[in-house]
Formats: sequence, structure tokens, C-alpha cells
Amino acid sequence: MLEVRSLSAGYQGNDVVHDVSIHVEEGEAVMIIGSNGAGKTTLFRAMCGLLRSSSGEVLFSGEDVSRMPAQKLVRRGIGFVPAERHLFPRMTVQEHLALGAYPKRPDPETRSIVFELFPRLGERRRQRAGTMSGGEQQMLAVGRALMSRPRLLVLDEPTTGLAPKLAHEAYEALGVLRRQGLTLLVAEQQVPLAMAFSDRGYVLENGVIELEGGSQELADDPRVRRAYLGVT
Amino acid sequence: MTAAILDGIVLGLQFGILAVGLTLVYGLGGVLNLAYGHMAVVAALVVSLTMEAGLPAAGAVGVGLFAGGLFGLLLNSTLLRAVYRLRGEARVLLSLLLTLGVAFVVDGLLLWRYPTEALSLHIGGDAVEILGVPIRSGSLLASGIAFFAFVALFLFFRATTLGKAVRSIIQDEEGARLVGIDPNRMRTLILVLSGMLAGLVAVTRSMTSPVTVTQGISFTIFALIVTVVGGLGSVAGAFLAGILLGIVNTVSSFYIGTFLTYIILLGAAALTILLRPSGLLGVPE
Repeated sequence: MLEVRSLSAGYQGNDVVHDVSIHVEEGEAVMIIGSNGAGKTTLFRAMCGLLRSSSGEVLFSGEDVSRMPAQKLVRRGIGFVPAERHLFPRMTVQEHLALGAYPKRPDPETRSIVFELFPRLGERRRQRAGTMSGGEQQMLAVGRALMSRPRLLVLDEPTTGLAPKLAHEAYEALGVLRRQGLTLLVAEQQVPLAMAFSDRGYVLENGVIELEGGSQELADDPRVRRAYLGVT
Repeated sequence: MTAAILDGIVLGLQFGILAVGLTLVYGLGGVLNLAYGHMAVVAALVVSLTMEAGLPAAGAVGVGLFAGGLFGLLLNSTLLRAVYRLRGEARVLLSLLLTLGVAFVVDGLLLWRYPTEALSLHIGGDAVEILGVPIRSGSLLASGIAFFAFVALFLFFRATTLGKAVRSIIQDEEGARLVGIDPNRMRTLILVLSGMLAGLVAVTRSMTSPVTVTQGISFTIFALIVTVVGGLGSVAGAFLAGILLGIVNTVSSFYIGTFLTYIILLGAAALTILLRPSGLLGVPE
């Protein structure tokens, strides 16, 4: 479904990620793990059309979308939830969901799926995003992305700033989406959570893919255990 | 006193609309349009020339609003292209410098070609008495139009998808792109709307006193003061601050003197910055 070939990207001529190739097949849940500053966010921004890549290509459902801006990619079926969420602070939950479906009218069925997944959002339809807690904001960011009915949902560190209990809940919600057939690509620092959730994964270090494999395989790798799972 | 206050409300409604046009554009990541008042004056000039060419007033006003919108469109697709490439303070500064340049050029051209041109729309009909004060029909129509414009703006921003899309780009450009909103199209829309609002205020002002080609900078200054007091990015704040400052304006020129009015208005803006930096209804950064 998604294929990234030898992608390099960065800021002001300095590449942060180098020659990265990853792929995600329909129905899969794939994780990208890596420490802070490894280039996960840069990779996602370049993939999702928020940052122009310096070389390489991105194919989505066979179409070359390397130069496509974010606002067009979302209509092709890629939903992106950035780590900083980028909500509209003075807009209500309802308004976010309405805009999530832009330029179409919000689909009531999709909206009820979102409210079923995150009952909190249903209770707070009229609350403004700027006054919500971190966990609620994360739910809203995911909910907004779901309103465009994406085929692939890309999440950059969905548990940033969440308490452990909320982080677990976030992955429970993602698990529900997965069982509904949504394809997921998640970047995560909280490696144990992401590993339990995903089928496959990549390890990104210093802008380069260092390792790849099935989640269990990665969890058993001594390097991963040392660096990310706190096992010596 | 009642007369001064009622006059203040008439003036204030128009100040408010004027401020909305400026604050919307500032919402584009800090684009400060110092040629804003010149959009108003150019629109007024176009109305005046069109009427001289024989078009009825209503048609001429339509042409004038179109001209205001066109001014915004041209600004958006030429000089502001360079501004949009910058972020933060650099964006504010470059927009300020470039539009100040536009203001000078427009001022020069207008003084050279149309030094004596002025727009005054005479509205017929008898004065209406409100609270014992006779209000001229021109004032009444001007206020009615401004009030209607406020209601229309409010409904546009709250109840339409396009209006929400415009607000979203002001609140978080990247978030807007992620839901599929094209920032370029929204910027074009905002600049055209801004030019038309400037033109509208020039037209309603000319119903009570002539709008001359030299008034560009004073329109800009009024819009800036109202924006600062009302809070950046707030339509309701512009409405409130417009009426408040309109009353301050007329009451102080009635009891103190016109020559001090500017200073008093600027004082009100300075006081707001000291006491409530984000304005009456603005949102703190």
C-alpha cells in the first residue's frame, strides 16, 4: 500500500534521514522505533507532504506521491496525526470533526465510529481544543484524522506526554481501529507498547534504518533489548 | 451626550468592520497590511469615478467593492508571495515594509492623478428620531449595512464549512493542511474578503462625510487601533472595540476637541496593551 524508496530529507539542505526504504502492506500495523532525534518525525513529515524530500520517492497504492503536498495526500487516503497534534485551539470538538471531513460534509456514520472509540469526545462536543487535557487532545487529533476516512493512518508518537494508563488506552483504541481493517504506521519511543501492538517494525537510528523485522523478532534482538527495552 | 454616543455607535460599527478586514489578514501568521486603508480609498475612488461615468450609485458601489477585492487579490498574488515564504517575526517585518511601500506608491499615484476626487454618497430621506436625537438617514443606512455585514461575517465563520476552514488556517496552518485545506486558496479568499470589507467601510463612511484620496493612512490607523483593543483574530472583539472606540472618538471630539481625538484613541490602545495584552476578546498567545 505504501512504499518509501531511498528517501532522504531534512532542513536547510542538511538531511536528517538518509536513504530510508520502508513499506506497509494493506491491513498491517507497522512501527518505527527510535530514540529522540533519530529522524522519525522528519521521515513522517517528508512522507506526508509537509516537508519536501531531497531525494527518493513515496508510492501510495502504486501512485507516485513524492511531491504531493499534505492537503492533497489526505484526499488520497493518508491520514497523519503529528506528535504536536496541530489542533485548532479555539475550535470545538464538533468543529474539528466537521473540518476533518473537509471539503465534504461530515459523515454521521464515521462520526459515530469516532464517538464510540472515544466516548470522551462525545461528552465534550462543545469544548474547545485549547482547554482539553493532553489525552483528550490526542483523541481529538486521531478523531479528526479518522473523519477523512483514511486507508492508512500514520501516527507520530501518539503517546507523547500521556500518563502510562492513558498511553495504554491510546493503544487499545488503535487496536480497535486495526481490527476494523485500518492500516497503521506508528512511530514510537515507548517501545514495549508499540511492539505488543504491531506486526512488523523498523529501527531508525541517526536517520538510517538499522534493523527491520517482525515485532517478536525485534523484541528478541539483543541490541533492541539493550537500547529500548531496558534489558541488559 | 446621547447624540454623541449614538454618533459614536454609528462610527464604531464601521470601525469594527474595518478592523475585521485587517485582523483576518494579520491572522495569516502575522501579515500586517499597512496598505489596508489604501484599499478602502481606492475602492471609494472607483465608486466615485464609476458614478461620474453615469452608473447608478448601487451599481457603482458593486464595482467599488469588486475593485477592493481585486486590490487584495493582486497583493496576495504578487508581493505577499515573498512574505508567505518567511515565518515568525520576519513575516511581520517584511509584510510591514512591503505594504508600507504599496501605501506610498498608491498615495503618490492618487495625489498625482486624482488630487481633488472625493466620494460622498447622499442618502435621501428625512432624519429619524432615536431617543430624542435626530439621526440622519445616511448614518442610519451606514449603520444598518455595517451591522448586517457583522451578522453575515459571524454566520460565515461559525456556520459554514468554508468559514471554518478560514478560521482553521488562522489557528494552525499545518493542522489545516492535514485535513485537506489548501493554504493558498484560503489566503486568496482572505485577501479578497479583506479588500472588500475595506471598500465597504469606505462606502458607508461616505454616506456621512466625504472620503478623500488622502485618507488611506488614517483608515489603516483606525483599523490598527480597533484591532489592538479588540484582540487579534476576534470578530466579536472587533465589534465590541469598534463601538467602544467609536463612542470614545465622538464623545472626546465633542467635549475635548477633534485635535486630541487621535491621541486619546492611541492612549486607549496603549492602555489595552498594558492591561490586557491580548485585547478585550483576544486569545493569549
